[in-house]
This record gives sequence, structure tokens and C-alpha cells, in this order.
Amino acid sequence: MAAIGNRTRDRVRAPLDDVPALVLRTVEFGEADLIVHLLTPTRGRVTAMAKHARKSVRRFPGSLDLFNHLEVKIHPRRRGGMPLLDRARLLSPFLALRDDAARYGLACYVMELLSRLAPEEGVGPEMRGIFHFALEVLEALEHSRPDERMRVLVELRALDALGMRPELRNCVRCGREVEGPSVHFHVADGGVICRRCSRDEELPLRAHLGTLRALEQGLRFPLAELSRLALSGQSLAEAHAIVARFQRYHVGLELRSERFLNQILRSSGGAGPTPAA
Amino acid sequence: MRGSPAIDRVIASLKRLPGIGDKSASRLAFFLLGAPDSLVADLADALSRLKQETVMCADCFNLGDRTPCPICSDDRRDDSLLCVVEEPADLSAIEKSGSFKGRYHVLGGTLSPIDGMGPGELRIGELERRVRSGGIREVILATNPNAEGDATAHYIGDRLRPAGVLVSRIAYGMPLGGDLEYADHVTVGRSLENRRKFSD
Repeated sequence: MAAIGNRTRDRVRAPLDDVPALVLRTVEFGEADLIVHLLTPTRGRVTAMAKHARKSVRRFPGSLDLFNHLEVKIHPRRRGGMPLLDRARLLSPFLALRDDAARYGLACYVMELLSRLAPEEGVGPEMRGIFHFALEVLEALEHSRPDERMRVLVELRALDALGMRPELRNCVRCGREVEGPSVHFHVADGGVICRRCSRDEELPLRAHLGTLRALEQGLRFPLAELSRLALSGQSLAEAHAIVARFQRYHVGLELRSERFLNQILRSSGGAGPTPAA
Repeated sequence: MRGSPAIDRVIASLKRLPGIGDKSASRLAFFLLGAPDSLVADLADALSRLKQETVMCADCFNLGDRTPCPICSDDRRDDSLLCVVEEPADLSAIEKSGSFKGRYHVLGGTLSPIDGMGPGELRIGELERRVRSGGIREVILATNPNAEGDATAHYIGDRLRPAGVLVSRIAYGMPLGGDLEYADHVTVGRSLENRRKFSD
């Protein structure tokens, strides 16, 4: 166990040389410094100090801005202080996200979710999956304006990338594939339950089997093609209820950007989905 | 325990300021302890007057010692031009340039959903009311050219569209004294897009 602990510590202390990163958030610090929260494919969430970033036009020119896709070099500090951001080269700024409140709102929502839930200084292949999900969302939002349907599917994909995917096909109690046309989704148990396992005193969410199949498809589709996935008004309401309540129960976070996102999506695309019965 | 509740109290108070951590708070507290009495008294007096003597201009929301502020009450300024800035410090920066003789509107921040800043937290409704009240020909959006500033400018531009006024955005490009070699490709690209005729 000690050997594994040392290896993990060594890995965390190792510098990051020219690795891709996404800017999740920046916080002004002191007179001219910035604390930069980054998402990387090798180490998950990394927080680094960019010295003089707010004054120097040469050191980090135009690079340390929200959503920016960068290539960074980060050095650890000897006495365990916050690592230093040595260099940041801008790969893509995703400028279209700034031109539209809905794109901006959903991108902020995803960045906030990842900045709260992506493992800090993590190790393992799931870090790569989280990073690629974030990059794919920003790329998709560059090319399409989100609506409530895309928001629900992006939320589901975020849960999947973070290892918290709801079970949509097999009963979480007996393992049998559930049958339609109407199925039960048990929020606390994290997935669908078949009629045989359903108990009278429980009040699970009800949804059509077609809604669950559409959500499963949404997990497989490339994010850039999510707009091709058709969801009726009823299915959207059911999908919204499942994803929102699953997230609230299992993630337990109230994201600050959710209020803005709700406001923008409702004002731009009519009323949002009403909760499913 | 540092030995003196008075020092601990100053350190604890300083630590509540943005960008001040443990070490900076201790350094400042011990600096003040060794500083001349007059310096400490001046600082304490300035801090105690700060809230009492600072008021927000009811027209532009700039901070000053009276309302309306000197800029809003200056009748030599152009009422038809309205410059929208994030914070009073940005207004000061534009005033120092001496290039703008219109009026201002201070938003009080930018749209930053991650920090809980939505349209309701900014003075966008007040801006709409000012524009609707008439007399404004152009609204210049001078929010910072970063993600939050750009998103805020676009959002305001959309909100002001029905009012039918000209809405412009401050230019993007190379800073004076900048170096193309060190500039990012977005800045260089925007400098070229926003180039202007050099001579007639």
C-alpha cells in the first residue's frame, strides 16, 4: 500500500509539460495574479497560480479565459504550495459561446459542474473521458444553439462522464430488462425497476419506454449530432424529470449557473418542460 | 494562538478581503503594528469614512461623494452617447483617456452564472429604462473583452435591439506597445478584422 501511495504522490508532484487543458474558472488573486482552475486529460482538475497574469501582455496573452482550450506547462512548488502555471498556449477560444446567452449559459453550467465534481489531481483513464466530454460539449455548442432537449442530454452525458450514469435498461433490483410501454424509474436506487420489483408504497417516476431508449441513444450519439435526436414534448418532460431528479439526489449539488440557464432557455425557447407525472 | 487577541483580530479581518491569505494578512498586521501611529490612524479614519461618505449616483451608478455625480451633472457632456462599463474603475480608466465626452452607465459586474451573477444582479433593467426614456443615439458597450464581458455585451445588445438605438462595441486588437510575436492568434486575427484605413 505504501508503494502505491508514494507512486500516486510522485505522479501528483510531477510537472505537467505541454498537456491540453480547459479553463474551468479563473479567480483574481492579489494585485496581478490569477488562480486558474483547469481540467486536464491526465490529472483531472488542477488548480495553478498564474503569476502576473493580469498585467503581463506577453506571458499569457489572451489565454487564461473561461472555456479556453490550452496547452499548458505547470510546475509543482517545492514546499507543497499551489503549482505554478509556467506557460499557456491558446489552442481554441470557443468564441461563439460568448455571442449567445443560451450557449454561454449551458457552457457555464457544464464548467461549473465539472469544477465541482471532476476529481482533483486524479489519476486513471476516467480523467481522459471527463476531459473529452468537456471538449466535445464546447465544440458542439460552437456549432449549435442549445435548447431544453440538448440541455437534458448534455446533463445525462455529464453524469455518464463522471461515472454516475443512471441505469436505463435493466431493473436495478433483479437485473431483468424492463418492458413497456410504461416503466418505473426509482431515483434513489439509480435506475429503472420492473413491475415485479416495484412495491406499492413506492412512488417512482413514470416514463415511457421510448423516453428511456431515446436517453440511451443520447448517451451513444456524438454530441455534435444530438440535435438529430428526436424527443416529443412528453418524452422531453419525462427525460427532464428523470435526469434532474437523479442529479439532485445523487450529485446533491445546487449549481449557481442553473438559474441563469433556466431563465435563458425558457425565454428563448418557450416554456421549459413540465415535470412528468 | 499568536499571543495577542488584537493582532489575531486584525489578521482575521484582513483575511476576509479578496486576494488576502494567511501570510499576507500576517504581514500586513505586523507592518501596521510597526508603522507610525499617524499612518494607522489615517487608515482607520479612511476606512470608517469609506461607507459613510461614498454614495452611488442615481443616474449612472458610479461611486462618488454626491448624486448626481460630477459627470452626470456636467451639462457640457453629450447626452446622446452612453458608454456601458462593468465597474466604476472602468469608468475611471475611460475618463483618464480623455477620449469620451458622453454619459456612462455602470452595470455593477458581468454575467457570470458560475458566480451567481445573472441579469437580475446587474443594472440592465435600469439601462433599458434610460435608453427607452429617449435622447440616446448610441450605446457603446465597453465591457472587458473576455468571456464574461463579451457574453454580457451580446446579451445587452439583444435586449436593446427593440429600442432601435445604435449599439456599438469597443474595438478588439493589439494593445499600444504590444508585440505581434507574443500576441495570441485570436487577438492578431481580430486586429486584422477590425483594421482601419490608415490614410485618405
